[in-house]
Amino acid sequence: MTDLPISSPASAARPWAAGAAVIVAAGVYAWALLMAEETWQVTGLLALAVAAVLAALKTGFARRLHQDWSASETRLNRLAFATLIVLIFVLSDAHFALLMVATTLLYFTASMGLNIQFGFAGMANFAGAAFFGAGAYTAAVLGTVTAVPPLLTLALGGGVALVLSLPLLLPIVRTTGHYAAVVTIAFGVLFRTFLEVNEILGGPQGLMVAPMRLFGWDFNSAPVIGGYEMSFYVNYALLAAALAGLVFMLMRRLERSWIGLHMDAVRLDETAAACFGISVTRTKVTAFLMGNAILGVSGALYGMMISFIAPASFTFSDSLLMVSIVLLGGLGSLWGGAVAAAIVVLLPEKLQLLQEYRFLLFSILVILVLLFRPDGILPRPMRSFFASRRAGK
Amino acid sequence: MTQTLLEFRNIVKRFGGVTALDDFSMRLGRAEILGLIGPNGSGKTTSFNVLTGIYPATAGQVLFDGQDITNAAARAVYEAGIVRTFQRSRLCLPLSIYDNIMIGDTARLTGSLWSNLISRKRLHGQIDASYRLARDLVGSFSGHLADRMDQPVGALPMIERRRIEICRALISGPRLLLLDEPSAGMTHDETHQLMDDILAVRARGAGLSIIIVEHEMGVIERITDRCIVLSYGRKIAEGTYAEVAADAEVQNAYLGAD
Amino acid sequence: MDFGLIAQYLANGILLGTMYALVAVGFTLFFGVLDVIKFSHGDVLMLGTFIGFTAWLGLEAIGVANPWVQLLGVLICSLGGTALIGAAIAKWLVLPLKKAPQLNTLLITLMLGTAIREAVRLFYPNGSNPKAFPALLPDAAVELGSFSLRADSVILVLAGLGLIGLLNLVINRTRLGLAIRAVAQDEETARIMGINYTLVVLATFAIGSGVAAFAGIMNGLYYNEINFGMGLILGLIGFSAAIIGGLGNLYGAILGGFLFAGLQVIGAALLPFASAYKDVFAFAVVIALMAWKPTGLIPERSSDRV
Repeated sequence: MTDLPISSPASAARPWAAGAAVIVAAGVYAWALLMAEETWQVTGLLALAVAAVLAALKTGFARRLHQDWSASETRLNRLAFATLIVLIFVLSDAHFALLMVATTLLYFTASMGLNIQFGFAGMANFAGAAFFGAGAYTAAVLGTVTAVPPLLTLALGGGVALVLSLPLLLPIVRTTGHYAAVVTIAFGVLFRTFLEVNEILGGPQGLMVAPMRLFGWDFNSAPVIGGYEMSFYVNYALLAAALAGLVFMLMRRLERSWIGLHMDAVRLDETAAACFGISVTRTKVTAFLMGNAILGVSGALYGMMISFIAPASFTFSDSLLMVSIVLLGGLGSLWGGAVAAAIVVLLPEKLQLLQEYRFLLFSILVILVLLFRPDGILPRPMRSFFASRRAGK
Repeated sequence: MTQTLLEFRNIVKRFGGVTALDDFSMRLGRAEILGLIGPNGSGKTTSFNVLTGIYPATAGQVLFDGQDITNAAARAVYEAGIVRTFQRSRLCLPLSIYDNIMIGDTARLTGSLWSNLISRKRLHGQIDASYRLARDLVGSFSGHLADRMDQPVGALPMIERRRIEICRALISGPRLLLLDEPSAGMTHDETHQLMDDILAVRARGAGLSIIIVEHEMGVIERITDRCIVLSYGRKIAEGTYAEVAADAEVQNAYLGAD
Repeated sequence: MDFGLIAQYLANGILLGTMYALVAVGFTLFFGVLDVIKFSHGDVLMLGTFIGFTAWLGLEAIGVANPWVQLLGVLICSLGGTALIGAAIAKWLVLPLKKAPQLNTLLITLMLGTAIREAVRLFYPNGSNPKAFPALLPDAAVELGSFSLRADSVILVLAGLGLIGLLNLVINRTRLGLAIRAVAQDEETARIMGINYTLVVLATFAIGSGVAAFAGIMNGLYYNEINFGMGLILGLIGFSAAIIGGLGNLYGAILGGFLFAGLQVIGAALLPFASAYKDVFAFAVVIALMAWKPTGLIPERSSDRV
């Protein structure tokens, strides 16, 4: 549709086949991993993944995949989403596996919010779990008010996270680097301490959260299709998938907009950005508020899903875990974030012996990544203002 | 002199105990090319930084087109039509050529969250139009760069980066271009090539003024209409290149004789 | 409110302030020489305290019972060990990242802090539970009305202030201090003048970490309890204190430390019905201070060169 002479990657016969194959394979793999119960099965699957990645790098398949993705991005993203939905239905009665899928998706969504800040605008936010928790507590409190429709509660979770961000705006915008970091760290600790001592919010014991309801459908009741009863987590997994998909799309658009470009400029060189008319303040405020609102919304749904929340789930360590997802995946890299969220959520759950060691494991992993591969597992690709349009969008 | 575009009135800039600009006054005419020369640390770059709102002036006034822009924010200075390059190239290296140039055109290319994220018809129109514009501009400096608009700037050699930096400054159609040592890190021939390109672009538009800070005297001699020599933050000479080059005080300042 | 209570708050505030200042000083020293924030500082401190605790267990086991000898052993092991750890972190994690974006160093040291914290929790015998730290100082107390002045508090405060004074002397009066200040002022010039840059950085990290370990031992002796999480909160408080004081400035760090302690004490005194909110209050004030004076009460020199 566009007549612009955009250099397009070497057009293979089917510039999506490799991508499509990988997506389907990833879907099957995810199913196998989620259903694996024995430790040897899980370790075997992990070894297989490592071998597959190495082979892809060695044979040049990785490059082909990269080309496919830039050539047929929209198509492949849609296929990935469809594969996810199929996976959820295939898992249908596997309670625990579905919970894992939904948790991964919500952490992924939350990490996208953080990615706006860390990856795009270059702002540190070490209170991710606090804004996530703000959403969850909003859901808990509003759940007791039957008049509020739960879908609105989701939005209000984001709204409360946004309102809590407001008092931080002034110090965040006026400071940079380590100064801004201390503001968010202080806020994270403050938030958690507040929850622990506040009796109305349940103190250290926490609160029950009412389930999601949509059009009169209670998400805690098992859906039945054709006489076949599925786990009620199917509801949550589908809604989490929808939320993740929506935020993913929003992020793609943000990246390929002037606002996203200005965020990059502010991250890379604030002074130069200001000399070309970019409002550093406005850009940072946008990134901070948008990111925290996304964290709040995903936290609200997370709270409804696990139905019981306590301050211990929203600690500084949890904030760091969310930051780990962003860094492992690669700053600003959306698909990297998805893969990293899966690793961070699934690995400790599938290998129970790692559960206890997860903070240690991921902190060391992040140190290694920062030292040896600072761009993360799947480095953020070059921005292409045209990619989504070539696909005829 | 022609009509005044920019005027410095008794600008003083102190950093702690160091006086970087000492009662510096000057005028720049419309469509004039002014050379700002002087030994290292004489206040050339500082005057750019004061002008573009990076440092506040300690005292004095800056007038641009009759308007007082003393200590205006960097953004307001840009919006008034003043753009610059930096001594050490300050491009966004991981971003593409196109992205970098678009960063220079923010006055035109912004918009609400709505038009950036939700209803993007206008955005797409802007992308198409600005792509053509940027490609033409880059093409007038280097044809082969124009075919690599989506490549990262970090992979380019120094001269190409300078060109991109100048395109980033020119894309918004400014009225005053500040060049801070464009020849740094480039060979003699490359510098001359670059200057010719800038003059060619300038000739197409109406009356772009330029202030150039430069050590390479060949460049100054060739392109400036007039020069100002700074030494320890003070203006010690003013005139055509030939005049200031013959000035005894200027020779002293450069040779350090006393 | 009676005199005794006020005096109690004041004494408590001075003790906490000394402790926080000792931690904050480290942050400010590291920032001075290297322009980095080493967020693992608090957890290194915790590790140092555990080293001291282990040394005490060892001394008990070999039958050394005199508390003063024990204290000396604990301090030597803890401060020395922590200084070594601090220097090692500087050498292998901080110096290699000198050219990397500031955020990366912050992140690496944050993650390192987590790793240390988790390692102690998981691998120290029964590490997830608090440990009873021995009371090695005399526990005599002078009663002044309702206010009781404990001898151990007095000794701790005096020792802490003495250490800060000593540090000040080292920085301002010795050759090493001169080298540290030279590097903080201008690394390139300092190198040209023949200063061994790496050595100065390592020495600075060793000193800063050792001083922080002293704060950790102080904490243990005062509360008679240590746990794996103590470094996180102490580190955060020290970090906040260094920042509100103004990074890179020794006096700023001390000021910040006492200011933070003052805030906590005021918070506890003004909100007696909810003294649990004292940290909420203190951190809220830190955030407000950052909004008001973004680069601290004694500002850092501007560093953006154009």
